[in-house]
Amino acid sequence: MGALTDYVQFVLMPQMFNGLTIGVAVILMALGLTIIFGLLDVFNMAHGEFYALGAYLGVTLASRGVSFWLLLVLVPLLLLPAGFLVDRALIQRVFHQKERHMLTMLLTFGLAIVMEDLFKAAYGPNTLKPDSPLQGGTELLGNFFPTYRLFLVGIGTFTIVAVWFIVNRTRFGSMVRAAALDRHMAASLGVPVRRVYSTTFAFGVALAGLSGVLLSPIYSVFPTMGKDFILMAFTAVILGGFGSIRGVVLGGLVLTQIQALSSLYVSPVWGDPIVFGIMVLVLFFRPQGLFGGRLGHA
Amino acid sequence: MNRHAASFVALIASLLALPATAADPVKIGVVTPLTGTYAPIGQQVRWGLELAAKEVNASGGILGRPVELVFEDEEANPAVATQKAEKLFQVTKVDFLTGTVNSGSTLAVGQLAERNNRLASTTVSFSDAITGDKCSPNVFRVNARAGQQSAALAEWLAKEKGAGTAVYYLGPDYEMGRNTVAAFKAAAEARKMKTVGEVFAPLGNNDYSPFFGQMRAAKPAVLYTSVAGNDTARLFTQLDEYGLRKNLLIVGASGTVTSQNMGALGKVADGYVTGVGYSPEIDSPENKKFLAAFQAAYKADPDLYGADSYGLIYFYKAAVEKAKSTDTDKVRAAMSGLKWMTPQGEKEMRAGDHQAVQDMYAVRVENGKFRIVSKVPGPQAVGPDTCTRF
Repeated sequence: MGALTDYVQFVLMPQMFNGLTIGVAVILMALGLTIIFGLLDVFNMAHGEFYALGAYLGVTLASRGVSFWLLLVLVPLLLLPAGFLVDRALIQRVFHQKERHMLTMLLTFGLAIVMEDLFKAAYGPNTLKPDSPLQGGTELLGNFFPTYRLFLVGIGTFTIVAVWFIVNRTRFGSMVRAAALDRHMAASLGVPVRRVYSTTFAFGVALAGLSGVLLSPIYSVFPTMGKDFILMAFTAVILGGFGSIRGVVLGGLVLTQIQALSSLYVSPVWGDPIVFGIMVLVLFFRPQGLFGGRLGHA
Repeated sequence: MNRHAASFVALIASLLALPATAADPVKIGVVTPLTGTYAPIGQQVRWGLELAAKEVNASGGILGRPVELVFEDEEANPAVATQKAEKLFQVTKVDFLTGTVNSGSTLAVGQLAERNNRLASTTVSFSDAITGDKCSPNVFRVNARAGQQSAALAEWLAKEKGAGTAVYYLGPDYEMGRNTVAAFKAAAEARKMKTVGEVFAPLGNNDYSPFFGQMRAAKPAVLYTSVAGNDTARLFTQLDEYGLRKNLLIVGASGTVTSQNMGALGKVADGYVTGVGYSPEIDSPENKKFLAAFQAAYKADPDLYGADSYGLIYFYKAAVEKAKSTDTDKVRAAMSGLKWMTPQGEKEMRAGDHQAVQDMYAVRVENGKFRIVSKVPGPQAVGPDTCTRF
């Protein structure tokens, strides 16, 4: 019995906590993605690059002396107009065409390539890293938990709850859900649909940027960082169901826990194949995901 | 004699006089990455070669002939390197070839050199195979190979920490990562240090915290790693986050901490030790002279690529002067066992495998700079001759 509790306490628990911090990171990225897909039906291939943009903005502002806590508010605010513009100027142009899915995918893919090269040109190829605002850690139940990671879990949870609240309990959220359900009816009822679209896209990429700032002290900042979590984020969205907030939270948690715990038993290189294998199985047997449906319907 | 005959004779006389003053240059082809990811390395190679060529030409050239460097961009791609090398051998008719960075390029160019009956040398590539199981009678290496770097580091570590020291290995899961770990593990175990664990993370892994549990349980005194670039920044930062840097000596490959990630690492890189073949701190008159000339010419410090490339020109000069010719077979014979002076001291080109034997250094990061902590003499660091082809 003693050996089992020891195993749970000293091996499983810390591994699950690590999986949890990575899970929160993935969910923050995936939230924006599922909202954008749930409402706009747009597969934003540049989502990772907005994550990177947030991180780079954070580094630039921090070097001017802006405090980390202020960055958490400032960077998403700065990304809102950027996202709004991208939607108005680029995505809306191809939105009303028949091959919308393909076109927006190609468009955002191209945008991703351009953004990555712009980062390299503006900041150089070297790695950057802001200092962690919370150093040190605490001993809890015989394990060491870095303070910053505890903070991440906390702020991640807060953000997820806030997003759920905005989507499901505010007037703006109800406009978004109405436009997702039936664009024309919502428009005829006075919902400013185009503005809602652009604002939602802006909101989605602002979330990506926020996760960029939050994760930069532990994962560093470099031009190709957009590729770090994007595949996991997409997988979480697919597993949970496009447009479902509940789904993406559950999907993200499940996938990262599986990845973290599997590294105890198999070589780490199997982490990705296992995760994507699950995605393939889900698409095979339940393509709408766990809670699939239109935004806010799950 | 009439007017026409006199001017004709004068013309012939002046034409006959010209060859005596204009000497046929010795052409050295340089196939190196001038663009792409490895461009900074190609830049150092270029600087080192040009500085040496200028100095050699100023003191009379090689056997009275000026050195001419012909550059071609290999774009860090072995296929492109092969094409450019072919062009240099067949069209430009170079006497000697150098400059390749990527170990794959060096091996490919080596085969081409054999087919064209010319000699080639690398000044950067450090895969052991080049002067090991894939050695070639026409390929030489003036720089230290991976095995020498590992040997230097293992030698320093054994003296610093002693036999029985617990070492944990963490490398990126691809050829270079696994080879470097294997090479150091062999060198460490030969010096009676204990391996307490080994893990290979995917290249580009974000989060190393899933491996910290097993690392902690193994209780190592030393961590050896061969990650590079962004992976290093993440590994070291996360080790620091989890309080694992206390009481842990981190050592690793020479490419793990470089100017690319030194800025991001900051103080978490302090204390990192690796083995290298060159440091600007080397306290020899040759190095001081080289440093001063390099800094004056290019306003930058040389790194090992610049220093080794500089040394190559002097190596070739010494060989050609000993052979009194640029004929391939004579120069090859002259190069075997040749000793020549470089900023790193005297190097010897081992005849058995065409690998340069040189003193190696263990260097440690202190405040963003590498400082020499010990020197390992050439013969101890070079490793066995595993070339069986010649």
